[in-house]
Amino acid sequence: MALGQVFINWLLLGSLYAAVALGFSLVWGIMNIVNLAHGAFIIVGAYTAFWLYSQLHIDPYLGIPLTMAALFVLGWIVQYIAINRVIRAPLLVTFLLTFGLDLLITDLVQQFFSSDLRSINTAYAGNGLDIGSTHIAFDRIFAAGIAVLLTAALNYFLTRTRTGNAILATGMDRDAARLMGISIRNTYALTFAIGAALAGAAGAMLSELYPFNPSSGDAFTLRAFVIVVLGGLGTPWGAVAGGLVFGLAETVVPLIPGVGPGYDNAIAFAVLVIVLIFRPSGLLGKPYYS
Amino acid sequence: MSSHTKAQTPSTTETLPPGPKESREWLWSLIVGLLILGLVATVPVFGDASALHTWTLILMFVVLAQSWNFIGGFTGYSSFGNVAFFGIGAYTTGLMLLGNQPFWLGLIAGAFVAALFAFLLGLPVLRLRGHYFAIATLGTAVALGEFVTVRDVGGGGGGLMSLPLAGLQAYTGFFYAFLGLSLLCLLITVFLTRSRFGYALIAIRESEQAAEALGVPTHWYKVGAFVLSAIPTALAGGLYAYWATGFDPPTVFDVGISVEMVLLTILGGSGTILGPILGAIAFEYASAQLQTSGFTWHNTVLGLAIVIVTIFLPQGILRLIQEFIRRPAAGTTRANRLREGARRVRRFIAANGV
Repeated sequence: MALGQVFINWLLLGSLYAAVALGFSLVWGIMNIVNLAHGAFIIVGAYTAFWLYSQLHIDPYLGIPLTMAALFVLGWIVQYIAINRVIRAPLLVTFLLTFGLDLLITDLVQQFFSSDLRSINTAYAGNGLDIGSTHIAFDRIFAAGIAVLLTAALNYFLTRTRTGNAILATGMDRDAARLMGISIRNTYALTFAIGAALAGAAGAMLSELYPFNPSSGDAFTLRAFVIVVLGGLGTPWGAVAGGLVFGLAETVVPLIPGVGPGYDNAIAFAVLVIVLIFRPSGLLGKPYYS
Repeated sequence: MSSHTKAQTPSTTETLPPGPKESREWLWSLIVGLLILGLVATVPVFGDASALHTWTLILMFVVLAQSWNFIGGFTGYSSFGNVAFFGIGAYTTGLMLLGNQPFWLGLIAGAFVAALFAFLLGLPVLRLRGHYFAIATLGTAVALGEFVTVRDVGGGGGGLMSLPLAGLQAYTGFFYAFLGLSLLCLLITVFLTRSRFGYALIAIRESEQAAEALGVPTHWYKVGAFVLSAIPTALAGGLYAYWATGFDPPTVFDVGISVEMVLLTILGGSGTILGPILGAIAFEYASAQLQTSGFTWHNTVLGLAIVIVTIFLPQGILRLIQEFIRRPAAGTTRANRLREGARRVRRFIAANGV
């Protein structure tokens, strides 16, 4: 494969991964919750896009606001009635709770949509720019562009708006934020809802790019975790940095002679352990989004 | 872990029974544990083949939960990758059987390999904390399963392994083997609550810095607990391998099994003697009944069960029972007693909310 093609593939995959990890990073950074149901939210997003496309003929990219709205509501409900109740429990409990939610959501999706492999075939799928021998697919560019846009929007929201600042303040010191008149319950629900909405956007984009079924979610949870650890908590741009580094590992490692394909999760995990040993705070990490 | 102790101490320690009475708790737990296992031992006598099958699996989960308790319950290091030891045990024993070695030798080999793996993995991984430890162990199990699949260790394509049948009479034998293993784990748990080694593990759970400051070599104790929890898990894996005769990586490296170990222990009461036994029997029995009735929403129910347990019973059934049998203050009237009971339950449930 030409070097230029590898480079383009890497950039586009890396930005897509940033979108996968963005919501996960926000929820972890603000609430110290590792949301194992993140992959399930991505899958719900993918099926929402699939449903919109097959029933209402709405393009998955144009339907992203609708998908995000649906996931926003779902995320709000989940946080408000379930996770808020165990927010002060040991890490293990929230970890287990989100795993239970993952199992529950995935199985419900499977009951409604069956476990068949689905895909969305748009008219422009496969079309793209050809520069020399390098092929750049349009849908990949959309996805990467939307990913960067979402990251910038999240960054703007957190640092420039009052509500965003309230979220940051809650992440830094819950008790102080409460004393300043911030409703912790609602702020957490909002944070989680935004995280779920971002997962929904990632799911909608993935549904157009790859075939999927209800059990594809777990792989994304693991990837999101690795990407966040790589890039570091603390800023939305950490997800982009982590996504690019992880995309690099996943594009290049299978090209090494003797390794070959099939080791996706093993690569993800190996990268994770190496980063944890050498740079525990990640590439751009800051504590608590400060 | 500091939030852990902060959240729990107010509800459990402020009105515990006085010292001398509490020191007998281990003895009562041991007696009740022996009684439960003794009752279960009568299943092959009175039950039919399907009951034997169900209870063999239940006992396997009892063993898995008990051995998870060694690392997760006592040291508070919530490993989500203990299924790796199960898979290692199953595959090592399977390979030994295919190599015409005796079964017991295969079991020992499986336990040995798993212990070695736990030791080598524990050295770096037990330096991580909280989420990082949990996900690193989870990732290990996933990666190991992938490796076994891609390298086709079982030889049947995709890692599938087929073993010779053990013979029909052997099924009672498997049942008693699992029972013996859970008895062994019960004794180890009692030992842990009564020994220097166990005290060190509990000290690590409550405050690792304090334990370190008191001169406990915490890292080695953690590695020791990890190895200790790997051995029975691998033995259970080996027994499962021969019992099931055919298995593949998605079955024996299923992260779901890891999560069930955690769930069962928490459901019963993590870090207690009886907790894992009670939690495993209650949950797995209910789950087996659901499955045999042809119910297709199994994962939905499992997910809901996890959600409900973690929200309403984060400290387990045992602590809830203790909360109920704790004596009220002397001279309380009946009406006050009811109110006190309701207050206790509410506090128990709402202990961790916003």
